[in-house]
Amino acid sequence: MIEKEVDVLVIGSGAGGGTVASELSSLCREGLTIAVLEQGPRLSREQFTGRELEMARTLYADSGGYLTKDMSMALAFARTYGGSTVVYTGTSLKIPEAVVKRWSVPDLNYQDLMDRSDKHMAANGVHPLEPDKLNDNNRLFRQGCDKLGYRVQQFPINVRGCRGAGVCNFGCPNGAKQGTDRVQLPAAEAEGVQVVTGCRAIRVGPGWCEACVSRPATGLDPIWEPGDYRIRARAIVISGGAVHSPALLAHSGMSDSLPVLGRYFTAHPALILVAQHDREITNYHGHPKSYYCDQFVESRKFLLETCMYFPFTTAKYLVGYGPDHSRMMSRMDRLQMILALAIDPPRWENRVTADGNGKPMVDYRLGPEVLDALHQSMRTAARIFFASGARRVHAPGGRKFFIEREEQDQIDSLIPRSGIRTGKVGVASAHLMGGCRMGRDSTDSVTDSHGRIHGVPGLYVADASLFPSCSEINPYVTIMALADRVADSVRHDLPELRHS
Amino acid sequence: MTTVLSESQVRFLLFLAEAIVPEVGDLDDTGRRSCVAIIDQALQDRPPPLRRKFIFFLSALRWTPVFRHGVPLDSLRGEALNAALDWFQDCPLPLVRKGFWGLKTLIFMGYYGRPEVGEAIHYTPSFSGNDFLEGNCRD
Ligand SMILES: Cc1cc2nc3c(=O)[nH]c(=O)nc-3n(C[C@H](O)[C@H](O)[C@H](O)COP(=O)(O)OP(=O)(O)OC[C@H]3O[C@@H](n4cnc5c(N)ncnc54)[C@H](O)[C@@H]3O)c2cc1C
Repeated sequence: MIEKEVDVLVIGSGAGGGTVASELSSLCREGLTIAVLEQGPRLSREQFTGRELEMARTLYADSGGYLTKDMSMALAFARTYGGSTVVYTGTSLKIPEAVVKRWSVPDLNYQDLMDRSDKHMAANGVHPLEPDKLNDNNRLFRQGCDKLGYRVQQFPINVRGCRGAGVCNFGCPNGAKQGTDRVQLPAAEAEGVQVVTGCRAIRVGPGWCEACVSRPATGLDPIWEPGDYRIRARAIVISGGAVHSPALLAHSGMSDSLPVLGRYFTAHPALILVAQHDREITNYHGHPKSYYCDQFVESRKFLLETCMYFPFTTAKYLVGYGPDHSRMMSRMDRLQMILALAIDPPRWENRVTADGNGKPMVDYRLGPEVLDALHQSMRTAARIFFASGARRVHAPGGRKFFIEREEQDQIDSLIPRSGIRTGKVGVASAHLMGGCRMGRDSTDSVTDSHGRIHGVPGLYVADASLFPSCSEINPYVTIMALADRVADSVRHDLPELRHS
Repeated sequence: MTTVLSESQVRFLLFLAEAIVPEVGDLDDTGRRSCVAIIDQALQDRPPPLRRKFIFFLSALRWTPVFRHGVPLDSLRGEALNAALDWFQDCPLPLVRKGFWGLKTLIFMGYYGRPEVGEAIHYTPSFSGNDFLEGNCRD
């Protein structure tokens, strides 16, 4: 076992960990040492090839097909220098006030979150895409919503010099997307923070962490020699994401003292909905995600966003097979796509645990309210597709593979509620939240509103697992705002914390 | 050469692949081999219990039709084959539906995961995709 000692140890380099590292990095000037452990690899720019299977295998846990325990939902999250910010689409929204009110976390102030969100959005160069860079897939969505009188808004995105490669979800080959790999981590490293890739934290406790460094199959060599490590730190910030952070704490034996650990996991379960036009449209060229429609968030519990996926991913989320399926797939250049996300309620039963080796297991049941929301989202998306001129629509829970334009007045009967059957309809999630929720004390939560784990001085959480319930919008900006608060509390507590 | 599937399992998988993606039937030997190699790699990457479940599901898929049709799935053709596959896709048992979804996923991965498929499905992305937007013609 190799011994190491640092002042602050951050586990994970994504939206949460990257933010904490950069916010604390100025401490290095005072002679303090900070290390970030990241289990995934660090790639060089040329390794971002945009090729679907290759990048999925390199960047994502289980190649992007990490399944919940009952195998009814696939969870997408990355494991690399920059975490899931390397593969996110970069849409940058601030959390609605109503959601923060519902969270009712003592001492969590909405305005404070907004100020911190603004700060990070400015650092990430967030702005709406210029009109001449919007492709047809996005424009058609807006037109369809406008025609139907649905509220539609443009996403601000965090790109600098985007060339429209359209493969955001496999890491930007042009380095345009401003994830923590481009902004926060390089800034932190410039101040002296060490980012150790290929290093998995295995167990943590007050003031210590056991970790293992190994050479990754792809990517640059880690900056620490391969081997087993015991690292002592005054403060440890866990930022492994909503799947890994609760699992790491559970594997470290904290479930008994923290009964809420791993609970209330939410995921914005999503459907990829596809329609076909009679003609070519621009879809896979250009930034994939420019608009969203939040008209139905309160009433029907779903959010619609534009999206454009890749051949295998698209094929997998169409229900059915054979000639109809092939017909749809044969013209990728005619496809319009919408992502429908359900606003899932936080449930005690939806839970992350760890197996004997520390591998996370996610118990998540798609409840009736989620299936209802997804069902309604399919009907609404079908209307938008037709209003934007689509020739035929594929509704995953539909009675037939295609609903033709002439049948659009029968959308309700052609997309029955009974059609949404788990296992048959592919449900995916890229917004993983909860599991170490903030709150008052250990009876209702895992941490306080500053990410301090109840009853364990010097141990913090800073990532999406802090959310008491789902954010109802794309989460990364809120994760950064919360991580920024956690960094403040570490800075505040540090003088009181000693090496154990 | 596969590491997870036996030769007869590969033959059965290719039979299924053709029913699920008819274009698999048009692939030459190299295309089929690369399809199978992708599936094999995906299975290798999965934990052994999941791999075992998949192989068990493959056998169940092959032999269950004997009860209804008197022959294994790979002896069925046309409507009968589709009816059998539809039954798995819509099966009242969620586990069977999920197994079928997993199988389809692997087959789609094998076929649509090959970079060579792009031209055939009109998918030719570019790192400078903005050049192909309004006002710029694609050539
Ligand atoms: C395809 C996709 C598209 C998305 N698009 C958007 C979008 O447009 N807008 C938006 O707001 N959100 C988007 N998201 C969601 C967003 O990326 C995540 O919510 C956010 O990155 C989560 O931040 P995090 O810090 O919680 O975890 P992550 O960013 O996932 O980072 C966690 C990191 O910790 C590492 N780690 C975990 N455990 C350990 C361990 N034991 N030891 C060492 N390292 C460990 C992981 O390898 C990972 O790199 C998207 C997500 C995906 C997958």
